Amino acid sequence: MPSSNPLPSHEANLFKKILKCYEQKQYRKALQHVKEILKKFPDHGETLSMKGLILNYTNKKSEAFECAQRGLKNDVKSHVCWHVYGLLQRSDRKYDEAIKCYRNALKLDPANLQILRDLSLLQIQIRDLEGFRDTRYQLLQLRPTQRVSWIGYAMSYHLLKDHSIANNILEEFNKTQPKTIDFEMSELLLYQNKIYQEAKLFEKSIKHLDDNKNFILDKLCLLEKKAFALTNLNKNEEAAKIYEQLIERNPDNLIYYQNLEASLNLNSIDEKLNFYAKLSEKYPRSDIPRKTPLLFLSDSKQFSSYVEEYLKRSFRKGITPLFKEIKCLYSEETKWKIIESLVVGYATCLETDNKFSNDSSQEEPPTCLLWVYYFLAQHFDYLKQYAKALVFINKAINHTPTLVELYIVKGKIYKHCGKVYDAVVCLDEAQSLDTADRFVNYKCSKYMLRASMIKEAEEIAAKFTRETSHPAEYLKEMQCMWYEIEAANAYRRIGKFGDALKKCHQVERHFQEFIEDQFDFHSYCMRKMTLSSYVDMLRLEDRIKSHPFFYKASKIAIEIYLRLNDNPLKEMGAELDTNTENLSPAELKKLKNKQKKQQLKAQNEKEKQQQLEQKRKELNKQKNKEDSDLEQPIEEELLPEKLERPENPLEECNRFLKPIEEFAAQYPETHYLAFQVYYRKNKPLLMMKALKKIKKNSNTVDYLAKFHYCACKFLLKYEKEKCSYNTDVLGVIQNELKHLELFGQSVEKLNENFLSVNQNNFESLIVGSKILYDLNPNENQQKALDLFKNISKENLSINLITAIDAFRSVAENHYFGKCSKEEVENIRTKLKEFFTEATIFKTPEEQANDLINCVQGLSINSFVSSVNNDITDQMTSVNIR
Amino acid sequence: MDEANKESQAQAHSKHNTGAADLEKVTDFVEEKEISGDNLDNAITAILDKRKLEAEQKAELERRLASVKVKKEDVELICHEFEITKPKAERILKENSGDLRAALTALVNA
Repeated sequence: MPSSNPLPSHEANLFKKILKCYEQKQYRKALQHVKEILKKFPDHGETLSMKGLILNYTNKKSEAFECAQRGLKNDVKSHVCWHVYGLLQRSDRKYDEAIKCYRNALKLDPANLQILRDLSLLQIQIRDLEGFRDTRYQLLQLRPTQRVSWIGYAMSYHLLKDHSIANNILEEFNKTQPKTIDFEMSELLLYQNKIYQEAKLFEKSIKHLDDNKNFILDKLCLLEKKAFALTNLNKNEEAAKIYEQLIERNPDNLIYYQNLEASLNLNSIDEKLNFYAKLSEKYPRSDIPRKTPLLFLSDSKQFSSYVEEYLKRSFRKGITPLFKEIKCLYSEETKWKIIESLVVGYATCLETDNKFSNDSSQEEPPTCLLWVYYFLAQHFDYLKQYAKALVFINKAINHTPTLVELYIVKGKIYKHCGKVYDAVVCLDEAQSLDTADRFVNYKCSKYMLRASMIKEAEEIAAKFTRETSHPAEYLKEMQCMWYEIEAANAYRRIGKFGDALKKCHQVERHFQEFIEDQFDFHSYCMRKMTLSSYVDMLRLEDRIKSHPFFYKASKIAIEIYLRLNDNPLKEMGAELDTNTENLSPAELKKLKNKQKKQQLKAQNEKEKQQQLEQKRKELNKQKNKEDSDLEQPIEEELLPEKLERPENPLEECNRFLKPIEEFAAQYPETHYLAFQVYYRKNKPLLMMKALKKIKKNSNTVDYLAKFHYCACKFLLKYEKEKCSYNTDVLGVIQNELKHLELFGQSVEKLNENFLSVNQNNFESLIVGSKILYDLNPNENQQKALDLFKNISKENLSINLITAIDAFRSVAENHYFGKCSKEEVENIRTKLKEFFTEATIFKTPEEQANDLINCVQGLSINSFVSSVNNDITDQMTSVNIR
Repeated sequence: MDEANKESQAQAHSKHNTGAADLEKVTDFVEEKEISGDNLDNAITAILDKRKLEAEQKAELERRLASVKVKKEDVELICHEFEITKPKAERILKENSGDLRAALTALVNA
């Protein structure tokens, strides 16, 4: 080992032992050897570096870095020191730095296998695919006698989508190797076949599968691949035979049925019916052949008889998710109408004489009626006929008061009406009927969060979290993201933006962790030969942030940051000053006294919190000491007070916005959010880009309205700012405006036109009135509010979520500027006409009463008193909960 | 009492950590097995030729892009307007033969 500072032979042997111990994770022993060397040679660079590396694994981060740095300083000509320093950077997730260190190490020892391997792992981790290929090439040259060298090199081309070279390498390699019957060979062959199929070489793929069928142990995969290839070659008959085999293996896989049907080329309805009838006979326990005809039958008579049979069977068997199973039929009005008349008929007959119909001779079990009620409740709920839905769910509960599912559906109906507290009561009832059911527990907790009852939600969730840690903390550890997202929403509703942002950032960190978690698998999967799954994993990780959870958290975070940008929170402790304009001196004095008291109270609380914080930190330190297997770098703590006072909220958005722009580009909402951020940043080209994407992805009324909104905002900004734009920028924008047919348009005219065309649409009305206001905030506020107020139930349909959003925006004064209390009240009563039951449109007093009633009825009672106090405070300050 | 508590906690802890041992194995260090093959060397040369050809093609493209001259202020404008890194901005400008307006249009429609 070349080093500027060689050790005498005894110590050199010890050094070798250190390396060995390190590889075998015997860190304590390794450290003993280190100590021994350092006794004699306290400045030996490579030993110091090794000490750093080992300390890093025993979670002494700062000491580790110090050692490695000292080691490197003492021996900059040693590849070991550079390598170790790179490894430490890597464990700190500083990948670029780590790569630089590896490169330095390789300059000193260009043929070092271990460093090249580590380099290739980093390159694949950050998807530097070309760099990865070059490194794998070097590895192959150095070690052609290792299987991994070949496969790694082939894979680098596969990932670069250069299938022919990838194939070539694998083919050349396979020529040199005898075939063996084992898992590794089988996986390698399947991987090779995957590349053939991705290169669309289906003939070759089939031949390859046939030639190697004895060596491929995963028979299911073999069949699926072959069927896929045959289908692509239009060899339908052969494909059909394989699909038949596959259905035999698993009669519940929908895809097999669909592919079989397609490869048999069935055209007429009768052929299809016949086909599914035969399969249904052959696989009587499978639901698919029974259900599929319901989807393609168009003749109402025929449909009626099929669905009747399907429904009756399901009711007799008590199939709980029946409604979910056939909800897909509800896109066709004729179908749900038939279902409705049938099932309502069943209900009446069953009520009188336990039969599905008067002329039937068969008596049904008593549970049949229960499931019919249950079905009808969900049916009418889906059709938004909530009163009817409630009638049926209550009948069901009277019939069997102990069935958990009934209370869940009842809660759901209440939720859809906007009665958040009644929904909570139902779910709590469900939860207490079966406290060991995790699903029901989670539902209950979620409904509580929807009603902004965060403490109660935690209390319920705590039934399934580890006793030793705080529920929210445990749920974070478990990466339980639905909870974090719902909690973020709840915190936002009650104005605790910092806490809401904390939850969003937690979700973001989970995703970061998912990406980090790949790292160990780069070497593991190659070694274990699970190549196809490995490549699938890489592809999944490439798009991991397209997951709905990431999207939801991002949307909340961006909206909050926009809000904090437009209306920043006051400095800590100063948030209590309300508007004092129209108060008498006496009132003012009283208020000031009250504020002082509150401030004192707040300060006390803060101190208490700080103490707690301190304790927790100490505890954490202890824990870290005990926990030896924590390789992750220590992350900055997320503090709500800090998060809700960002220096530059718009820059903070990037962490969320950039990924969703890349991975959730199909949703117009993404670009709507992007537009709002870029609008505030005054980036005309990015605004234009977002605008074009909204246009491209919008087909619902909702987003056509949003397009109108953004287009108008863009034009207004453009008129104001165009003098300051660079000429080329201006040129591009004008060109794009022409394409969008917006060039030279007057916003006033556009908006007038938009409003007159879309009178009957609430989303459009909201947007139109907002633009009207923005055109001239001083003069048009009343006009805009009037537009809002003059809506009537006869000619307008509104959905609850939109209505709630709109109401909040107005009430929180960031829609039409500052509105008088009367105006807000007017809008509230107006919207109440549409949603008579919804909690949010009730008076603050009514809401407070509802909440108290709700809390008192719950199975948990620890927060009743605190809530009671809170309520009056909260309800008087903000009338929204 | 305290002792018993601790013990049960420790037990609970170990119960929650099943699977951790398997995960540990993922990071194990294992030296690769050596394989033998009669003509591994021949196989390598077959691939080498392919690689050469491909490297030449790529170098050609890079040479062409490198010959395009771009203005520094254009690059900066793109960086500022689109919030992208300098190398990316430069690349796009070069791909559009240094024409700023074309580059901006390409990015708006990206």
